[in-house]
Amino acid sequence: MNKFTFRRGVHPPDRKSRSEGEAVRAMPAPGIVKVPLSQHIGAPCEPVVREGETVRKGQLIGHTDKGLSARVFSPVFGRVTGTEVIQTPSGGRVPHLVIENGGEGEEFRLPPLSDPGPLEIVERVREAGIVGMGGAAFPTHAKLTPPKDKPIDTLIVNGAECEPYITCDARLMEERAAEVFEGGLLLQRAVRAERLVFGVEENKPEAVRLLREAGAEVAVLKTKYPQGAEKQLIYALTGRKVPAGGLPMDVGAVVDNVHTAWAVFRAVREGKTCYERVMTVSGGAVSAQNLLVPTGVSFAEVLEFCGGLKAEALKVISGGPMMGFAQFNLAARTSKATGALLFLTAEELNTDKAGPCINCARCARACPMRLMPMYIDGFTLAGDLPGAKRYGALHCIECGCCAYSCPAKRPLVQSIRLAKKLIKARNI
Amino acid sequence: MPESKKFLVSSSPHIAAPGSVRQIMLEVSLALFPALLCGTLFFGAYALFVVGLAVGSCYLFERLFNLIRKKTDTTGDFSFLVTGLLLGLNLPPWVPFYVPIAGGAFAMLIVKMLFGGLGKNFANPAATARIFLLLCWSSAMTTFVQPFSGGFFGGFSTMLTGPDPGLDGVVGPTPLGGGEADLLSLFLGNVGGCIGETSALALLIGGIWLIVRRIIDWKIPLLVLASAAVSVLIFEQDFSAVLPALLSGGLMIGAFFMATDYATSPNTLWGTVIYAVFIGFMTVFFRTFSNYPEGMSFAILLGNILVPLLDKFLIPRPFGAKGPDRPKAAGEVRK
Repeated sequence: MNKFTFRRGVHPPDRKSRSEGEAVRAMPAPGIVKVPLSQHIGAPCEPVVREGETVRKGQLIGHTDKGLSARVFSPVFGRVTGTEVIQTPSGGRVPHLVIENGGEGEEFRLPPLSDPGPLEIVERVREAGIVGMGGAAFPTHAKLTPPKDKPIDTLIVNGAECEPYITCDARLMEERAAEVFEGGLLLQRAVRAERLVFGVEENKPEAVRLLREAGAEVAVLKTKYPQGAEKQLIYALTGRKVPAGGLPMDVGAVVDNVHTAWAVFRAVREGKTCYERVMTVSGGAVSAQNLLVPTGVSFAEVLEFCGGLKAEALKVISGGPMMGFAQFNLAARTSKATGALLFLTAEELNTDKAGPCINCARCARACPMRLMPMYIDGFTLAGDLPGAKRYGALHCIECGCCAYSCPAKRPLVQSIRLAKKLIKARNI
Repeated sequence: MPESKKFLVSSSPHIAAPGSVRQIMLEVSLALFPALLCGTLFFGAYALFVVGLAVGSCYLFERLFNLIRKKTDTTGDFSFLVTGLLLGLNLPPWVPFYVPIAGGAFAMLIVKMLFGGLGKNFANPAATARIFLLLCWSSAMTTFVQPFSGGFFGGFSTMLTGPDPGLDGVVGPTPLGGGEADLLSLFLGNVGGCIGETSALALLIGGIWLIVRRIIDWKIPLLVLASAAVSVLIFEQDFSAVLPALLSGGLMIGAFFMATDYATSPNTLWGTVIYAVFIGFMTVFFRTFSNYPEGMSFAILLGNILVPLLDKFLIPRPFGAKGPDRPKAAGEVRK
């Protein structure tokens, strides 16, 4: 059988075997949670609860009407004690709502919907604060409301999970295949798409089997990074190229992560709001597992729950090793988009010093966006931003294939990011 | 675990594919080993000594340059080894001892280090140094001994001056210079010529190994050879002239080891095609029309200076940059 795929890309060792067999365990919320008021791309939320107020688990605590945003909910039953500005995993600093965990109580739920229409589903997705849970955290309701002139015919559920180590989506597809499928059907109905297709890499045969058993159309993707990148996935499954600077809706497609699909299922059928998620803890310095973690838990607490470090961790990464963010300490808090927390030893990481570019063009051969990273890097470091732009810096999706394949270990993504920032800031 | 423990922070990606510049250089050097072995077998120990001098000279002058410029030593990347081997293998077997030393100095100081070192040179150091030597010591650079002549250690007796071009039974014309040779001798390398360029078999072994290891792009040698073959047909109108032309002179070593030099070959598909076809054509062109019997190094040098232009004007269009494809019917699956 022909497997679906895109052109170029790399084959990093997937290292999923450490955690793929571990069933998802629920991590209880600690005594105090600090919930980020911005867990999404867009306007940060304002707290809608006062200091000293008692909140229920699942209750709305953050909301804003200023532009694109996603609601924030309390992961515990307890008392609000204030706000605190803390770092986020990606390096920003945002206000977090501090809530004292008051133990068990009645969870807040929205009324379940038995046969919702498209608009009801979109409204429910908005009410439940669902964001893209593959890592980008784009508010899902916005994706589900394309303008009239962009009809959607294909809803793709992204179960590629192409980043090494991460297994949270795989576990979800295996343990909750029927629910994930139903979430996909709800998303399909929301955008009135004719086709619903799941894209799953071939290294997850069990997930493919169970989803098919549940009745889903599953396209088996070649195991290759970045198979789960939106544009590459759409191309692999439909042959359509999302235009540069465009969105999937421009080619009649919407892509949602399997975890997002599951969150939609829970919001519609169970009335559950979005305050917890499945997360993979892995890496050579920790015993690997998959957890259902509440939002607002510090990485230190997650590590403690997993039994602490069993070896020296050189780097701690929120997300995957190809695109994730290195943490300088463990103070950042989990959010709706924290799919993985990796504790990596020196042996697992690239620790080589960067050397000069030898112009071998491996980066260009690896780039799924068909760029020439060595030139963007060279132009950027020489201060020639128009040159960097001419070689396509703004098209970069920051997947990391270039730097991964570089024999001189040049930090190509870093300089392309710099180029993008400077080009935008200086309006070049 | 306290929240305050500090960890290493850097930009993603955090992992890298195995392999390094040094490993690439060592593998290319290893791929040149069969050619070095054949050269030593056919032309004696002095040929090996010449290659050793070239390598040593490249090493020393790279170190010296860094020392004078007060820069960190860069010889750890072993690119000097590739340049030194290529330069040595591109010299006549019994060349006077100072020729490889001067060649190494020119290759490293002028062609490589002055332009910024590894990856920054615009022309192939070995090919350019060979041209330099050819122009400076024309006679020594075009005096070729026949295989197995003068005994295994024979070359050392003439190391100060080089062999007398009139020495009968030792010095003879190369196949390109009008000498006679059957195809098998050409293929094995049992003919007069430069140390490492005569044995097509040894070069093929090394070259194919590099292609299999994905260190060099297969398109370059294939297109150089194909283009040279077609050019021979155009200029000679004789099918029987094609194979001898491909197997003799520097075409094989140039196609597999010198035209494929990363720093001086294009990075785009169409750039590579134009570059390789150009080199193949120009080699035959020089062989046919110039005063020199051989034209590979000139062709490579000319190809090298095309590269910046090719890479500037043939930028690939990024994925999706030309606008949306026509939406296909829903439910339609590719292939």
